[in-house]
Amino acid sequence: MNTPGLLTRARASLTRDKSDTLLLLIAALMVLAPHFLHLPLWVSLTSCVTLLWRARITMQGKRMPPLWLLLPISIIAMAGVYRSFHTLLGRDSGVAMLALLLTFKLLEMHARRDLFVVIFLSLFLLLTNFFYSQTLLTAGAMMVTLTVLLTAQMSFQYTGAVPPLLRRLRAAATVVVLAAPLALLMFIGFPRLQGPLWGLPGDAHSAHTGMTDTMAPGSVSALATSDELAFRVRFKGPVPDQSQLYWRGIVLSDYDGRTWTRINRRRLPREHIEIQASGTAVSHEITLEPTGKRWLFALELSGPDMDIPGQTVNSSNELEFSTYANISERLRYETHAWLNFRIHANATPEQLQPWLALPPGFNPRTLELARQLRQPSGLASSQAVLDMFRKQPFSYTLEPPLLGRDAVDDFLFNSRAGFCEHYAGAYVVLMRAMGVPARVVTGYQGGELNPVDGYLSVRQSDAHAWAEIWLPGAGWKRVDPTGAVAPERIRSNLAHALPQQAPFGFTPLLELENDPHSWLAQLRFQIAALNNAWNQWVLDYNPDRQRSFLEELGAAFGHPASMAGLALAAGLVWWWQRRRGQMQPDPLDALYQAFCRQQARYGVTRAPHEGPLSYAARLRAVPASSEKRAAMEQFLDLYGALKYGVAGAASQHRRAGLQKLKTLLPLCR
Amino acid sequence: MLPALKRRIQGATNKWLFQLRDSEPGEVVLVMRRVFILPTKAGLGFAVLLLLMLIGSLNYNLGLGFALTFFAGSCAVVDMLLTAKNLAMLALAPGRAQPVFAGEEALFELHVANRSKRDRFGVWLGFQQLGEPRNVTDVAVGGSSAVVLACPTGERGWLTAPRVRLVTRFPLGLFRAWSYWRPDLKALVYPFPEQDAPPLPMSGAASEDGHGTVGLDNFAGIRNYQPGDPMRHLAWRQIARHDPSVGGQLVTKHFDGGAVAELRLDFAELPWNMDLEQKLSRMTRWVLEAEQRSLPYSFRLAQHDFGPALGDAHRAACLRALALFGQEAA
Repeated sequence: MNTPGLLTRARASLTRDKSDTLLLLIAALMVLAPHFLHLPLWVSLTSCVTLLWRARITMQGKRMPPLWLLLPISIIAMAGVYRSFHTLLGRDSGVAMLALLLTFKLLEMHARRDLFVVIFLSLFLLLTNFFYSQTLLTAGAMMVTLTVLLTAQMSFQYTGAVPPLLRRLRAAATVVVLAAPLALLMFIGFPRLQGPLWGLPGDAHSAHTGMTDTMAPGSVSALATSDELAFRVRFKGPVPDQSQLYWRGIVLSDYDGRTWTRINRRRLPREHIEIQASGTAVSHEITLEPTGKRWLFALELSGPDMDIPGQTVNSSNELEFSTYANISERLRYETHAWLNFRIHANATPEQLQPWLALPPGFNPRTLELARQLRQPSGLASSQAVLDMFRKQPFSYTLEPPLLGRDAVDDFLFNSRAGFCEHYAGAYVVLMRAMGVPARVVTGYQGGELNPVDGYLSVRQSDAHAWAEIWLPGAGWKRVDPTGAVAPERIRSNLAHALPQQAPFGFTPLLELENDPHSWLAQLRFQIAALNNAWNQWVLDYNPDRQRSFLEELGAAFGHPASMAGLALAAGLVWWWQRRRGQMQPDPLDALYQAFCRQQARYGVTRAPHEGPLSYAARLRAVPASSEKRAAMEQFLDLYGALKYGVAGAASQHRRAGLQKLKTLLPLCR
Repeated sequence: MLPALKRRIQGATNKWLFQLRDSEPGEVVLVMRRVFILPTKAGLGFAVLLLLMLIGSLNYNLGLGFALTFFAGSCAVVDMLLTAKNLAMLALAPGRAQPVFAGEEALFELHVANRSKRDRFGVWLGFQQLGEPRNVTDVAVGGSSAVVLACPTGERGWLTAPRVRLVTRFPLGLFRAWSYWRPDLKALVYPFPEQDAPPLPMSGAASEDGHGTVGLDNFAGIRNYQPGDPMRHLAWRQIARHDPSVGGQLVTKHFDGGAVAELRLDFAELPWNMDLEQKLSRMTRWVLEAEQRSLPYSFRLAQHDFGPALGDAHRAACLRALALFGQEAA
């Protein structure tokens, strides 16, 4: 016994009803399967068991469970959902309830109406899966599931012969393919509103990793191990040099001996900050991944104002930007940055006071060192500190040793190993101790340019901390102490700055990974570009993007040349259709039809069953002039000969005959 | 008064809107213009679902949710097109209709041919006046399907086929497309054979044997039961021996008439004060009975005067004359 035989027999033993129901169960399972990844285990198990139960009922032709059994089960299930989620109204609990409802509804299918209810529930459940995943893969799975659902729905509509499953699947796929152009058009053109329409339940957004507004030893290095995307950037012009790519985020000015925090707002009234910029602005568009916080990042130095449609943007004295609400969706904004700038060059000593403060009683050895290194000018003092970092055995590491109470003392004199936050922090403390206003800036540095689509990806591992010192006449000036220790970090990226471990202890793999021209890197770039396009055009197709895209489209189509091209194409299609329509009927038949129509106007309508001979006999009985009669006689004779005679087959005869018929036709009037 | 007016207005509107026309001779092709379409209840439910999906996508800003919503909506639009196309360009032609007796159902045969390049599934047909169609057929590419529709009959005479409604919901059931067609087809309805009619008038004029019970006098054996045989002539003793439920047949006692066997069915000889339809009804019964008993009979009704004969042709001619009595001029 072989498998095909078994299959055929299995198929033969399935009645139509059974196979339709099984198909519906499979479709429901396909809808539910992605949800098993996040549903509580008991919900997934209950769903599976219920589906199996339904399949068993179908296969054995048994009766459905009665209502008095189903009702308590569903009530218990609902109580279970409440127990798991502590609510029935949240997003996740709603999905769990829907999943259970779908499987229970399958057990309670009696009429055709119930079938539609099951299909509709499945479609909605398919949508809810996008709360959890919206990748390209999910989209592919969605299309397949939709096709199977449509097949199930279609299968119930056959009344007589049912084509085999493969043909039905193909028919459903045809529906989906035919729907694609319209769906695309609606996706592009359907007016989008800026959601949400009402407050989202608390569990609508999950936790994100990202930059915080405090800095303690270890906070940035914790991010550095994350390969997660922070934001993507598209430059309108040429991409600036890697060492210029400082993505300014949060400025930390207050130090309590351990943690750097933002300045106390109450102490600092909002002032006008003067910015003098030179050179051309670097125009760029940033697509920020949801952070769950309010901070915006932009190339240093953007501002002093930033405008994002649909968002209120605050800017601070330290040129930080933040939104009013936490960023829970991917956010796209455009800014202009100047690479040469002066901030607040004419600040008064009072205004600079907050950036000279140091916590009393901490780091005595550091203060002592500052006294030794102090130079007459701020710039020279800074250079002395950087020289110390460069010349003395300081090292750059992701796993720095723990530091004691006097963290900067410990770092500068004992461990001498740290990550960027250690260097930036120590540098600022030293500068302040030397009387130079200084502060810590956190953000990102660098990024990876994808040659496929020209987008620069900035990851959490690009998180960075640097410093700013204020110099008379020059204003706030960026100083990156990390660059003194690990210039590689600034020039390329973190991976190059740190000692590397070859994967699986296999060095060629490492080279493959680092070489931007290797096939692995190329593949990675391709996938990243695809993902980015997906994010930009499908997931973040928001009202703003829609407007700009439609404007671009309008501009493109508003062009006279493209309009003319379109008109030409439409005309060609029309001509071709018309031609095809004209070609279809046989010219001989068309002439005969015209003749019949003509005679019908004189009251002699050809009956549908009437042949040319009997029609001719009837026409003869009608009074008419002798010429007309002769013409009619000739016409019908010729038609009969061409249509049914042997001579009609030869093409010359035919052509001549047709010509003759054409001349005869007006004479029969 | 008002309901009548309303009905008339509705009728006129329907006629205009759905282009209801009289019977069309020959084959009719359902061009797209003749196909109407509206969403079903399920279709309306689907619209509500789409709205919910749209709101969900908007609220949670689900890019892929929009994609699914628009895809599902477009699938419904495609379904609408396919449902209309499932009906459009079908070629309809009338078939045959056998004569029936009044009160029986007239059966109209209709042919549905598919000359397009797509199989048609789930095409429902039925007479419009009888509500939702109950006959369903599939028509394969290049194939044709014959559907027999039943229509109750009331009066004798020609019964023209009422308007046929074709309905389909294929492929997804979200839309219902329909079309109307009045086939050029009529069935002859014979008068209703009178029940408990008096026995055959064995000789029109008075005969030597006396009055009308001739023909039932002498027992002349048994024969198989035929519909219409009176109950009292059933040969119960024989039937009891051969139980019908185990394969036996009903048998009827057969009586011979007297020696005079001239059977003349003459409309004019029926009592003058009898109702016309009842007279026709009685004549019909007699024709059937005479045929059943194989008694040659002559037939006279108005201008029709058929000599004594027997057989299907004679029977059909007599019944036709009865059916069309008073209507033939038209």
